Amino acid sequence: MKMSKILININNLNEIEEYEKIGITNFLFAIEKFSIGYKAFSLESIPSSAYVLINRVLDCEDVDKLESLKEEISRFKGIIYEDVAVYNLFKDEDIELIWFQNHFTTNYASINYYLKNGVDSAVISNEITENEILEILDKSLKPLVINILGKNQIMYSRRTLLTNFNKHNNLTDYNNMILKENATSSRFLAQESEYGTVIYNDEYFNYTHILKNIDATKIKFNLILNQDLKPSKIDAILKGEPFGNDGFLNKKTVYRMSEYNDR
Amino acid sequence: MTDKIELLAPAGSIEKMEFAFLYGADAVYFGGKNYSLRANAKNFSLDEMKEAVLFAHSRNKRVYVTVNIVFHNEDLIGLEEYLKYLSEIKVDAIITSDVAVMSLIKEKNIDLEIHISTQASILNHEAAKFYKCLGATRVVLAREASEQDIKRIKAETGLEIECFIHGAMCTSISGRCVLSNYCTNRDSNRGGCAQICRWTFDYMKDDEKVTEEPFSMTPKDLNMVSNIQKMLDIGVNSFKIEGRMRSIYYVSTVILAYRRLIDRILNKTLTEEYSNYILNVLNRVANRDSAPQFFNCLPGMKEQYYLGREELSNQDFLGLVLDYEDGIATIEERNSFKIGDEVQAIGPNHETYSFKIESIIDEEGNELDVARHPQMIIKVKVPFKLEKNDMIRAKVFDFSPKV
Repeated sequence: MKMSKILININNLNEIEEYEKIGITNFLFAIEKFSIGYKAFSLESIPSSAYVLINRVLDCEDVDKLESLKEEISRFKGIIYEDVAVYNLFKDEDIELIWFQNHFTTNYASINYYLKNGVDSAVISNEITENEILEILDKSLKPLVINILGKNQIMYSRRTLLTNFNKHNNLTDYNNMILKENATSSRFLAQESEYGTVIYNDEYFNYTHILKNIDATKIKFNLILNQDLKPSKIDAILKGEPFGNDGFLNKKTVYRMSEYNDR
Repeated sequence: MTDKIELLAPAGSIEKMEFAFLYGADAVYFGGKNYSLRANAKNFSLDEMKEAVLFAHSRNKRVYVTVNIVFHNEDLIGLEEYLKYLSEIKVDAIITSDVAVMSLIKEKNIDLEIHISTQASILNHEAAKFYKCLGATRVVLAREASEQDIKRIKAETGLEIECFIHGAMCTSISGRCVLSNYCTNRDSNRGGCAQICRWTFDYMKDDEKVTEEPFSMTPKDLNMVSNIQKMLDIGVNSFKIEGRMRSIYYVSTVILAYRRLIDRILNKTLTEEYSNYILNVLNRVANRDSAPQFFNCLPGMKEQYYLGREELSNQDFLGLVLDYEDGIATIEERNSFKIGDEVQAIGPNHETYSFKIESIIDEEGNELDVARHPQMIIKVKVPFKLEKNDMIRAKVFDFSPKV
């Protein structure tokens, strides 16, 4: 795997040197106040060569604040964004824009709309099958980003769900909680901040093995959204160490009860 | 802006649409058999959609069709033909969140008005402007929008603003949840949501439960009775009720309540007493508690449900009026009632009246003490004129002249 194609989020500035040692040179930094669910950094602490993550759903006040920082943010290499307001604010700036509206990047027509209108790339949803991913890559007008390793952020609420429950039960300020659903044996990781609550699937997915089936020219980056893995572990996984699951690669979702019953 | 105020009702079927219009809705929204987020509702066939449009337009009402799934590649097949059909039968707008739909309409020059679904999570003016450039004439704002956000979006875009005012809430920002996909493989953004956020979970730290009470994140329902005036003042055009899978009784009661509330606000006859009465009626018809949620503040502990919540089915709907003649109403029974019960008659063309059941006669002319069987046809003496499709309910709250 070409390490030069990896784009990885940074949880700690000390990680950068370790990643560079194994050949990873593209870094993603979640920005304070405009991101949720990942370790966030102040603008001044982020190197200009980095990509930045703006993944909050923004209200009007947030947009005003973001607009006031437009010049400062435009020095970065690119923005991976959730809210289309970011596209509107930065579409005429000299900065790469990568569309990552979580759960929505599921078809080639939507992705191509953005690519035709000034967006440089999109992060393909990994809640679709391998065949769907391959079809999107095949029909995309520009190289795309594949989410290859991480814990998927699967729910985003503006509510302070953990604080509310803690208060109701007179508990201390628990955060980063595991929510275990017994009927389906599912485990989720819930994290809360002043911007709301996000829930992750607590299991890592690992899509690195599908890269051998893909023409590398169709890929802009292989994205890793890391929660808690050490750089050495990531290096080992990228070199083929068995880890994580196949997510939805071979599991097509259904939505009509008749289909569900037919499975 | 009060020139185009619209009360918008859910229509899970043709029958529900008819009741929604009868009880005061200006417009309805529903989904077809495909591309709609309530994949397991009855939904409308192509012929039914055509029939619905004709029915609505003959009454000067409007019809919006939800094309609001998040599309996968395979869903794009047939989309163009479907959109052209909706255009041909002259639906008043489609409700969508996927730019694939909007760009196709633009590219193929299909004559369809576009309303942006709440699934697009619009909370700011720049996002609204983005969709305006794509041809949208209306945005359905995220339920998380505050009064200030709504006001600003209206002022900066001039778009029609549609807001949910009543009904169930997602725990997440709409569209930003795939818990269902992970727990059950049912695709939440294609209409298969299994409502996992209404389930309970062990609440764990370091592999130990920190409390015996299971974690719950279910929000209470939305109820904007106390904020309708403010919403009118800041430029909301369309007041939307959630609930395509709800009963005709629920839809009719909620629509009638908001119809009367909005009309009284507009003609400046609303009293605090009437507003409280409406609130009581709405609280009673739902099986969950409700709150204004995000309009004025961030919802907290009290806007969330915990263990011990009960969703009791509502037995208030006693019967549907089929006919009225010479002081006798012919009624199709829905829930049991008996002689001596205090009941109320509701309908779109009269105030709510209370009366006591004095006699019940079945189809064979037998006098009954109790009407026990849903769907049975009975005759009941009613001391005021009723109309077909009025409803009889258990007496809930009084705001009516005694007859």
